[in-house]
Amino acid sequence: MKKNRLFALLLAAIMLLTLLAGCGGKPGGSDPAKDPGPGASTAPQDTPKPAAPVELNVVTSYGGDDGNRKNYENAVKDYEDATGNKILDASGTSNEEWKAKVLTDFETGTEPDVLFFFTNADAEPIIKAGKVVDVATIRAEYPNYADNMRDSMLAVASDGKNYAIPSSGFWENMFVNTKVLSDCGVAVPGPDYTWDQFLADCQTIKDKGYTPIACSLFEVPHYWFEFCVMNNGTLANQLDVPASADDAAGKKWAAGLNDMKDLYEKGFFPANTLTATDAETVQLFGDGEAAFLIDGSWKVNYFVDNHGDTLEDYAISYVPAKGERKASEAIGGISMGYFITKKAWDDPAKREAAVQFVEHMTSDEVMSTFVTTEVTALKNGAAPSGLNPLQQSAADANAAITGVVGAVQDTITPEAKADLFANVQNVVTGAMTAEEAVASAIAVN
Amino acid sequence: MNSSSTLYKKKGPLVVFLVPAFLFLVLYLYYPFVQNIINSFSNITGLGAPAQGLNDPWWANYQALFTDPKLRTALGNTVILTICTVVFQVGIALILALLVDSIRVGAQLFRTLYFFPIVISATALGLMFNLIFLYNGGMLNQLLSNLGLIGKNIDWKDTDHFMVTMFTPVMWQYVGFYFVILVTGLNNIPTDLYEAAALDGCVGLSKVRYITLPLLRNVLCTCLVLAVTGALKVFDLPWVMFGAGMPQDKGWLTGTYMYDQTFNRGNVDYGSAIAMLIVVLGVVLSNVANRVFKPRNDL
Repeated sequence: MKKNRLFALLLAAIMLLTLLAGCGGKPGGSDPAKDPGPGASTAPQDTPKPAAPVELNVVTSYGGDDGNRKNYENAVKDYEDATGNKILDASGTSNEEWKAKVLTDFETGTEPDVLFFFTNADAEPIIKAGKVVDVATIRAEYPNYADNMRDSMLAVASDGKNYAIPSSGFWENMFVNTKVLSDCGVAVPGPDYTWDQFLADCQTIKDKGYTPIACSLFEVPHYWFEFCVMNNGTLANQLDVPASADDAAGKKWAAGLNDMKDLYEKGFFPANTLTATDAETVQLFGDGEAAFLIDGSWKVNYFVDNHGDTLEDYAISYVPAKGERKASEAIGGISMGYFITKKAWDDPAKREAAVQFVEHMTSDEVMSTFVTTEVTALKNGAAPSGLNPLQQSAADANAAITGVVGAVQDTITPEAKADLFANVQNVVTGAMTAEEAVASAIAVN
Repeated sequence: MNSSSTLYKKKGPLVVFLVPAFLFLVLYLYYPFVQNIINSFSNITGLGAPAQGLNDPWWANYQALFTDPKLRTALGNTVILTICTVVFQVGIALILALLVDSIRVGAQLFRTLYFFPIVISATALGLMFNLIFLYNGGMLNQLLSNLGLIGKNIDWKDTDHFMVTMFTPVMWQYVGFYFVILVTGLNNIPTDLYEAAALDGCVGLSKVRYITLPLLRNVLCTCLVLAVTGALKVFDLPWVMFGAGMPQDKGWLTGTYMYDQTFNRGNVDYGSAIAMLIVVLGVVLSNVANRVFKPRNDL
């Protein structure tokens, strides 16, 4: 009996200890007593190499069907082989939900060690919360950190500091399925393509039984929103954010939304545009059932990976223009970069590994595998080798680009963005007016 | 005998065993619950962000619950889901249990087969059903098209079809759960009762009506209470398949709407108020269900 009681007490003690064990410790497993803290850093040459391999938690947008996923995975493997460190990768597909999840991880204290994320307003919450380390602080200890980048092209946060080391830039423009266009007798749009020509072409394509525009208005209405807004304004005032639905920017946004409504009512979007995912509509385009697709430079490698045998069926063209905008004006820039989190920086075991990882991922060699036709911040520029037909098409289109501006959606808060794009479906179906949608978004901006 | 009774007289060991579980509940249930109540009255603009004082007025979120059309939609859909759960999940499970109970060979196989969907993750099931209901090249559209039943593809997630598309996987997944409970209940009914009834000429449907169902009542009541309370918490499958309110804000459930407000919109305080509404609804409905389907001790 005594034995039983002892056993019972032992069991209870183990259960209690197990419970309490989960409450203790420090993420990353470092010893607080040995943690010198943020202000007590040592020079890189004095920092001993980690005795044991370090595990780094990394989050990027190179997951899912991202066109650079393979390049990213190869670069990570090279880093692991060279350093012996282990990358615990939790990359996802870049969309509003992914952004919200990343920000939530920071707010709940489960942030990664290195983050590849947007450098615009999306990053402000983690910057303001002091969750990431600025480049100047890192360079104070590692003077050569990202010295292959043009500092003038590093994103500047609201506090005037640089935090992210940029990777490749991006452009957004019109992908066209040349086979569909050819079958419909429609010419591949040039840099002088007008909105009226586009509407006529869409009708021709629709009459022929194809879907003119591949787009999920449920999931990614922002591509069309950006260009429709620009079509009702100019390159110069593209980034103006409305203070109300009645001011000039508000009217411009509403007019852009109404243009999208017009396209929807004419039946130019897929029949299931309000319930389809982006992947579904992109596949529709890839399978030769849709003619036009607005997407970004990251999508080029998607077609290389998934439609490599028929790359000549796709081309990069120009988004039709109206008003003062020219079709040769597009959305683009450098909007993402690598952040080192405060958590990793304060962990002596991870600090150097995190710095090494970012330096590796943004080195000239690795960047050259990511960059084909995009803008880069590299001082020496990227040296992509052997462009395929689609990449060549993108390079040709970019050569004729006369103006580039960032995306206006990147200048508003995630909450306002979520509200605005969630209401696009209500605007196009008439459940809400464009002005009401703009006012609703501005109210939460 | 004497030593074991001494063990139960001494409450010390029992307390030692209960304390860890109690601490766990306090840490991960009661504390967050109380914090959630406080959050629902506060002004919080982002997940994890500190509250910027109380709302003005402090009950603003609860006032908004009554005027929010999306929440009304969510509540309506949740009520319909609850009714469907009771009728279809428990109903189909009962029919399957009665059928399996009446066969001699293969009963164990059917038990495993019907229970199987529960062990598959909801995310995997959601992706699978997404492929079935896909607009272009989905299994269902291909099947109907090949049979000549439809001329053009049906958008199974549009406003005319979304409810069937959303609820079918949910029903399908949990039928097996209630099936296993009911089969266990059926196995506990003494066979001599059936033999006696058979001697009196009570066979077939009469046997089910006058012997099986009355003796299964308590188990059935437990299933119904579980079904009602479980329906209020449904989240994963609809979220994977429909995301935020698809189609056109008509597909919200209370769980998905609360998640969207909290995690996607950063409207944490309002999300907390919706969570409180879900808790209140759960308590009220489970009490009502407990009273309506009260187990009887005389059976």
